[in-house]
Amino acid sequence: MNFYFTYFFIAVGLFGFSALFALFGVYAERKVSAFIQDRLGPTETGKFGTLQTFADILKMLQKELIIPAAADKLLFIMAPAIIFIAVYLGFAALPWGPGLVPTKLNLGLYYIFAIISIETLGILMAGWGSNNKYSILGAMRSAAQIISYEIPAGFALVSVVMIAQTLNLQDIAAQQGILSPEKVKFAGFWDVSSTGGIFAWNIFRAPHLLIAFIIYFIASLAESNRAPFDIPEAESELVAGFHTEYTGLRFALVFLAEYSMMFLVSMVGVILFLGAWNTPLPNIGSVQLANWTTGAAWGVLWIAVKTLTLVGIQMWIRWTLPRFRVDQLMALCWKVLTPLAFACMLISGIWRIGLM
Amino acid sequence: MSLVQILFYVMSFIALGSALFVAATKNLVRSIFMFFVTLFALAGLYVLALADFVAITQIVIYVGGILVLILFAFMLSGKETLNIIAQQRSKFISINKVAAFLLAGLFLLILLNTFFKVDADHLAWITGSVRFNNVITPTAAMTENIGVNLMTKYLLPFEAISILLMVALIGAAHLSRKGEKQ
Repeated sequence: MNFYFTYFFIAVGLFGFSALFALFGVYAERKVSAFIQDRLGPTETGKFGTLQTFADILKMLQKELIIPAAADKLLFIMAPAIIFIAVYLGFAALPWGPGLVPTKLNLGLYYIFAIISIETLGILMAGWGSNNKYSILGAMRSAAQIISYEIPAGFALVSVVMIAQTLNLQDIAAQQGILSPEKVKFAGFWDVSSTGGIFAWNIFRAPHLLIAFIIYFIASLAESNRAPFDIPEAESELVAGFHTEYTGLRFALVFLAEYSMMFLVSMVGVILFLGAWNTPLPNIGSVQLANWTTGAAWGVLWIAVKTLTLVGIQMWIRWTLPRFRVDQLMALCWKVLTPLAFACMLISGIWRIGLM
Repeated sequence: MSLVQILFYVMSFIALGSALFVAATKNLVRSIFMFFVTLFALAGLYVLALADFVAITQIVIYVGGILVLILFAFMLSGKETLNIIAQQRSKFISINKVAAFLLAGLFLLILLNTFFKVDADHLAWITGSVRFNNVITPTAAMTENIGVNLMTKYLLPFEAISILLMVALIGAAHLSRKGEKQ
């Protein structure tokens, strides 16, 4: 029975974490945008405006849940739940540290890739259910964008999997540090199995994986509908895109899903390319920095720091770059990223056979 | 009943119930969303059959790809067209549906025939495989097995399918191209 208790505890814990992260994320986003635009951001509520998002969520909880008269009620009500659950289910397979993983799936990466694609369905459901032309245009743009960018993202991930030879995220994580069961080579020639640190990370394992990481990062921005790929909710054109008609708690759920998605895609990127829960500090001679900073607690710290850094870069990009036009967006995906991702996959195959 | 059996019955019930709804409802968009439930329940049944790779592939291809594309086609066609389809009245049994009924009946006959004739618990090839230890355990990694088999034993069908898909892609690209200027 203890067994099931642990399961529930972890599931609730992950939910709590994603809710907390969304609260923190919204606050951080406001402060970052304020900094970039030379403003102050929230300052009044709490010290430095720290309670602003709590105030926002309290306001949202009190708001009336409005269902438009012409909406398809069932689809309208279910859509935010499906959007959030799709993202939340993805968290089940993500490792947090050595030995710390909610479910040790041997198909972990593939599972996450599959479960995220359900989000598209939720977005289309919201767009159709709202019975509003802005919503439906936003939903269609979003779906077109997500299914297009899944292809370069998928192939960038496959090029890592071909080097790592496993889909188990925990095994992929373990390969990138001093706990690796096999030999790790920096750029294919320097054996760093006992040095560890930043040199053992996947982006340095082969030069083309750096390009694969950039492709994945760009595609992950598009998959979480973030600027410069936020045409699904382009405020200047579509009001708010697929969530135009949502109010109160349902709107909050859509936002929760967006921030969880940001965290999820960043964490997948960190696990596959940036050494997962491994320390960035290498062993230098008798100064065994890597040995000292490896462990379950350190693992959680490192992966959180790395993931939050990536999330920070996502925010930075959002407030720096203007929005893409639809045709530019598709041209970037199909004419630049997809061929590059295919090339990375090809090089991975040759690399694995020839150099490892 | 063990937990696995309970899960099997629950998921079969969901799959059958949602499939019935898909076939019976007049609201086409809702029937597509219900089809998603059917596919998900089927994926669950695959997991119970230790075919986890097939289950996830089912979700990637059918839910992430095909269902979304079907919805796309619906959303491009507009609500009025869908309403006309929804208002069409048809009797359950009519002369137009003879072929469908015949096909469904024959399939049912074949299924029932196999069900009653085959002794599912003592199939010769299964007992043979068990004797030679040629079985997959619940903890085994399926992906390598599938990959090796696709590239060796089933290479010809694999390549044939890839050519078929290539033909479909070229055809689609040709159809969607703008007509030449005159």
